[in-house]
Amino acid sequence: MTKPKVASDWLAGCAGCHMSLLDIDERIVTLVQVADLRATPITDLKEPDETGVAVGILEGAVNNSANEEVAHRMRSRCSILVALGDCAVFGGVPAMRNFFPLEEALRRAYVETESTDETGKIPDSPELATMTRARSLQEVVPVDIFVPGCPPSADTIFYVLSELAQGRKPVLKDEKLSWI
Amino acid sequence: MLSLTINNQPIEVTEGTTVLNAARQAGIEIPTLCDHPHLTPFGGCRLCMVEIDGFRTLQSACTIPVTNNMVVRTDTDKVKTARKFVLTLIFSERNHFCPYCQVSGGDCDLQNAAYGESMTNWPMPPNWQPYPVDASHPNFILEHNRCILCRRCIRACSELVGANTLGVEERGVKTFVIADLNVPLGQSSCVSCGTCIQVCPTGALIDRKSAYLGHEKNLDVQKTICVGCSLGCGIQVFSRNGQVIRIEGDWDAPINSGILCKTGRFAPLTDDRQRLTTPLVRKDGALQPANWEEALAAAAAKLQPADQVAALVSTRQSAETLHLFKHLFADGLKSSMVTSLEEGSATSLLSQFAASKGKAFEGTLKDVEHADSFMVFVADLVNQHEVAGFFARRLMQNGAPLVVIDTGENPLNNLANCALTPRTGKELDLLTGLTAAISRLGQNKAVFTGDAIAVMNAAAEMSGVSTELLLEAGFKFASTTRPVIIYDATPVQTQDVLNALVKLAEISGAKLVSLKGGANSLAAAQYELDKPFRLNSHQAAYVVLGDENPSEHLIKALEKAPFLVVQASHTSKLTAAADVVLPVTSWLEQDGHYLSADGQLQKAEKSLPACGTAVRTNEEALKSLAQQLNLTAVGNWKAELLQRLSPVEIAA
Repeated sequence: MTKPKVASDWLAGCAGCHMSLLDIDERIVTLVQVADLRATPITDLKEPDETGVAVGILEGAVNNSANEEVAHRMRSRCSILVALGDCAVFGGVPAMRNFFPLEEALRRAYVETESTDETGKIPDSPELATMTRARSLQEVVPVDIFVPGCPPSADTIFYVLSELAQGRKPVLKDEKLSWI
Repeated sequence: MLSLTINNQPIEVTEGTTVLNAARQAGIEIPTLCDHPHLTPFGGCRLCMVEIDGFRTLQSACTIPVTNNMVVRTDTDKVKTARKFVLTLIFSERNHFCPYCQVSGGDCDLQNAAYGESMTNWPMPPNWQPYPVDASHPNFILEHNRCILCRRCIRACSELVGANTLGVEERGVKTFVIADLNVPLGQSSCVSCGTCIQVCPTGALIDRKSAYLGHEKNLDVQKTICVGCSLGCGIQVFSRNGQVIRIEGDWDAPINSGILCKTGRFAPLTDDRQRLTTPLVRKDGALQPANWEEALAAAAAKLQPADQVAALVSTRQSAETLHLFKHLFADGLKSSMVTSLEEGSATSLLSQFAASKGKAFEGTLKDVEHADSFMVFVADLVNQHEVAGFFARRLMQNGAPLVVIDTGENPLNNLANCALTPRTGKELDLLTGLTAAISRLGQNKAVFTGDAIAVMNAAAEMSGVSTELLLEAGFKFASTTRPVIIYDATPVQTQDVLNALVKLAEISGAKLVSLKGGANSLAAAQYELDKPFRLNSHQAAYVVLGDENPSEHLIKALEKAPFLVVQASHTSKLTAAADVVLPVTSWLEQDGHYLSADGQLQKAEKSLPACGTAVRTNEEALKSLAQQLNLTAVGNWKAELLQRLSPVEIAA
């Protein structure tokens, strides 16, 4: 039996969920025995296989056109899409800026921060992705499995991945379910 | 009894029980949000939907009463789907973000409900439209983004406190919790009691002090009583590492049933006075740190028997401490000037009156809670003993009339049906006039002797309150079955006025309830610690100040004391003037019994560790002193509490 391929990527997040994934420590050995870890932001391969993967994992909210592209690419190449962490599931911390007009949020970030001198300006290169409202993943593409948590605990992530690798649908409830 | 089954489990309940309460009695859990055991069922959140045989649609368990042979199911797919849908709608209505909300992680009923349904996400996005945050109030914040419109706060504000500050404006998605006619909370008629924070199921109403200082599961919780006034409200003290995080009303407390006033809930959190952690002894004109042995020896050297010492004790101290204090100074050191810091101002008149009548003459706070008309006689129920005011206010909206009698502007005047303002010093005439007016109306429950019309007219003339107003007030007050007169004995001053008040109570069939100053003023009165204080030829003064703030009057009265020992928990002008200062625990760091204004004996529990190793409880400090003086306290504090006739029956 071939091992199911697993790929991951991150959007507007803090990488904390991937750090939590690494917190599974030596259990990663168990994981690679049952799953084929492919492209991830923390491995050399950066894009999920064009031929498709069984499980795609996305961390972070969708907050610009580049995130949208990554989300759509992952969705089109994976069978089961996992939203990992509060940003992907609910919008999380990046979604706090939705309460302000985009212009105001950018001005605050690039011009008005205490550490910015008078040269601060909002980047306007046409090559940059277009900013949008910060959204949860399911507002952009259909999501199969939601793993909330900020970040989800290593135990939860290990449980989810090992269940998926063995062809089962993980059920998060009771002590495995936490939104924070 | 009615029989029903819930999830095939047979249950028997009394008539009028809701399906929700029937399920609770049987140990079957139905999730709720807008329901609160101390509030009228509202049926607003729809989370408690259940399937009942014979009903076409799901029914809200919190509002539907049980009927005989009802068949209820709480665990079907239809019910579970409905619950998830309800929660989805609630989450999408405003902006709930668990990672940065301080109640998230155990203290949020909404999140717990979602966990209960194993929800891993919100199928619908949040509203994203920002809602305002009202941070205008000094003690708490109203965060509209997290409000689920369950109206618990509004019902608490109205049903429990009677303040009616909170309400809603608009309807549907535009519905908003507002204060008064939509003014910022800080500028509203809010009485700052914080009951709304205590009932809020989400993080919409949070208090500034405790936010982000830990979830309930990380805090130490101790049930005790508040010693802010003589009512004796039950509280729950939440603390962490010896610091008070917040104080909540104890829902199971017999006196207040969960409600608190701003003083009880917030004042202990904002106490920033400097604590005393070591004994101090005056050497070469300045107070120097010392150990207990040195301090006690220095104090004992000057505390001579045979009426050389004047002694004062705070009424915030326990009955055990008051008892020990009395025996130590009155019996041990044979002092004639042993009294409380209040000097019996709120109680001595009452004790004397009880003695002259030979029995207790007052009712209890339970009478206030179940009254159907109120008279407030020169008592400020807005700034002191506020919870008694809440009892009156919440019953007023059910039609209980309020008559206020005060020589000046009473804060309750604007709520009163009748506000009578007699000329200063003419309270007696007014009470006599009112008694006559009630008799003139034929509402008297006891025989009135004399010419009612003539008495009333004369009283109106003297007091400056018209006969029409006397008749109106008399009718409003006495045409009910359970009238209650709440009065403050401090400004009453004369036995004649108290006599007239008792006569009025007899004629109108009313219960009398008085406010009695400090938490243990009644106990101090029972121990006869109620004389006016005077420093005569005393060679020393000993003050058990505890955690009380010394009044200017006290500081002045003690200026002439040749030698002053102060037992206190905080530095103050009085400790600065003392010759020996003994550091003691604050009210939360010691335990003991308290006698409430209506004679209920309650135990205050130690809720915090002592502030430092050199700090002793007030009782321990007095015991150490007794030992130093080779005196032994005799007698039983509880038995002696009952020796003197009390104005109210003591339930000990």
